[in-house]
Amino acid sequence: MDLDFTAEQAEFREEVRTWLAENAPTEPRPHSWEGGMREYDLAWQRTQWEGGWAGIAWPQEYGGRGLATLQQLIWYEEYAKAGLPAIDSTFVGLNHAGPTLIARASEQQKAFHLPRILRGEDIWCQGFSEPGAGSDLAALSTRAEVDGDHFVVSGQKIWTSFAMLADYQELLVRTDRGGSKHHGITWLICDMRTPGIEVRPIETIEGGAEFCECFYDEVRIPMANIVGEQDGGWRVAMSTLSFERGTGYTASQVRLAAVVENLIELAKERTGPDGRRPAIADEEIAVRLATARAEVAALRAMTYAGICRNLRSATPGPEGSMLKLYFAEIAKRVATLAMDILGDDSLRATSRWGRPFGWTGNYLYSFSTSIGGGTSEIQRNIIGDRVLGLPR
Amino acid sequence: MDLLPSQEQLELSGLAAEFFAEQLPISRIRERRAEPAAITRASWAAAAELGLLGVSAAEDIGGLGLGPDDEVLLFREMGRQLVPGPFIASVLGARLAALAGDAGLARKIVAGDAIVGLAQRRAGVELAAGGPLTGQFDLFDASDSDYLLLVEPSGAGLVETAAVGDIRTVDCIDPGTRLAQVRADGAPVACWAPAAVVPLRLRGLALASAVLVGISQAVTELSVEHAKNRVQFGRPIGVNQAIKHACVDMAVSTEAALQQTLFGAISLRSGRPDAEFQVLAAKVVAGRAAIDNAAHCIQVHGGMGYTDEHNAHLYLKRAHVLDHFFCDSRMSLSALLAADPAQ
Repeated sequence: MDLDFTAEQAEFREEVRTWLAENAPTEPRPHSWEGGMREYDLAWQRTQWEGGWAGIAWPQEYGGRGLATLQQLIWYEEYAKAGLPAIDSTFVGLNHAGPTLIARASEQQKAFHLPRILRGEDIWCQGFSEPGAGSDLAALSTRAEVDGDHFVVSGQKIWTSFAMLADYQELLVRTDRGGSKHHGITWLICDMRTPGIEVRPIETIEGGAEFCECFYDEVRIPMANIVGEQDGGWRVAMSTLSFERGTGYTASQVRLAAVVENLIELAKERTGPDGRRPAIADEEIAVRLATARAEVAALRAMTYAGICRNLRSATPGPEGSMLKLYFAEIAKRVATLAMDILGDDSLRATSRWGRPFGWTGNYLYSFSTSIGGGTSEIQRNIIGDRVLGLPR
Repeated sequence: MDLLPSQEQLELSGLAAEFFAEQLPISRIRERRAEPAAITRASWAAAAELGLLGVSAAEDIGGLGLGPDDEVLLFREMGRQLVPGPFIASVLGARLAALAGDAGLARKIVAGDAIVGLAQRRAGVELAAGGPLTGQFDLFDASDSDYLLLVEPSGAGLVETAAVGDIRTVDCIDPGTRLAQVRADGAPVACWAPAAVVPLRLRGLALASAVLVGISQAVTELSVEHAKNRVQFGRPIGVNQAIKHACVDMAVSTEAALQQTLFGAISLRSGRPDAEFQVLAAKVVAGRAAIDNAAHCIQVHGGMGYTDEHNAHLYLKRAHVLDHFFCDSRMSLSALLAADPAQ
């Protein structure tokens, strides 16, 4: 066992650091999608691609660097250290759709879409959840009827982040209603400009409007857009979720460690509950801060161990759910602790995209960490059933 | 970078696990409840013969010359099987003796011919270079010991057990640990090493964390087995989310504690500048995982979990003892907050 990076990996880290210092955007990221968020995010993605940093762990034949997840980790660590904002609109393309296409799509689909994602030409969104199919995802009922060489899709998706900015969508549809609910689901590439799609934003508790619902009224999607097998989309979708819950969260985990350090600084600057000493001198706050430090350290160790496991076997397993669950718990505790440190100032609305960092916006956002990508309760079911082998 | 144990490392800890299961099963704790020492000299000698006291000791004093990561994997097995006896103090004692220049004593400890118990200060002035030892101390598994190990913020030293004074036995909450107290008044310190030169406290915290990880793992396994097999209302209780999710939370905190403990041990071996941070973080998450999970284990077992006959309470009690070794959870937390951030 060792924690040493090879000379080559250390050199890679140095290159990342230098490149980020010279090329990272200096303009603040727009807070709203009407305010140029799409242009900003795609331009930054394109800059990364031009610099040779897009798709570090993706195969070279599709425009990636063909390196290991370890180099991807180094990138995320340096990215977080540089204090750069998370670019969540490109998350689905880079961390769900891309890896799924690499694993399951046809050569033609891969050759078209993967380079476009890396070059910052397309934004992807995820059309999985429906009003009647949340945790019970396989109960989805958005219908796709065959008409010649097209599907005709009608129904509704919900909780689709960035649908209003997206060019493409990973769309799960019901193509067969006989048999078990896990059978008869098909994974489609949906062009969001197709007639019959209506996108409506949903405002979140944080005040953000990245969230959407999508309505499909006889939307024609070529059958050539099937990824994997017709009626076999459940397995394709599950591989996507495993990626999301596994290494897809590495960036957030790394960022959380930086958030805890910033919070410790905040606790030194702010007056504590006794109105005299700094917040960090309060015993309860100190205990919670130290616990957060210990937990993000353990989260990082788990992330490293997960990456080492990935290097030995290519497909992520259900262990990714452990990381996601632990991450969500810590993220929420840290966000709540910030509110207690802020005291009276915790009632002032601030944005997590703001400078200085908005702790109250972050607190409200933190509620999404144990809901999005599968609730913590569903993660516990997955771990209980598939890791611990408990009876269903 | 590789955070996963190698095949060789797993073989070594697997061998130890077999030895513990055969020679020192948990039932031995109950059998020896009324004996002055929790482990017999014969068992101690057998463990020494297997090399368990010298995993990280240099080969010239009879050790295997391996690293703290190998030792941590071994001590995790001790936690899983609740092995009694002053293994942590003796392993650290051998290390201290060797580094302080007493190779003869180090060799005796590694060979199992000298046993080292643990002394923790309750009151009095901290030990300074050269001693002597004065003050009030709690002693752990010192009843059959030849030496006592004292680890203080300033440094660590060894003292002959016979020289400290009147040792008074105290009932310990853990039937697998022998607790005593003593008031020392000028006992000579045999080996002394300042903390700046020999960070023995961090080694000790890493080993204690490893035992706590093993305890956390064992109680999780016990709970999962019970959840699968115990039938109520016509179904195994593990189908209920209240039980299933409790088991999952135990498994997640065990995994976090294990990975952080390995991370800390490797940090010690490679001399990472943030080794202190990493080891303290390991102690915090491992201590909490062991105590909380043992408590949940009792709850998952219902009435059976509250009986003396079931092992759950033995794990809980040992977890509390280990959580006090070298610095208790409050001290670990404040030291962690005061440390420089992780690298």
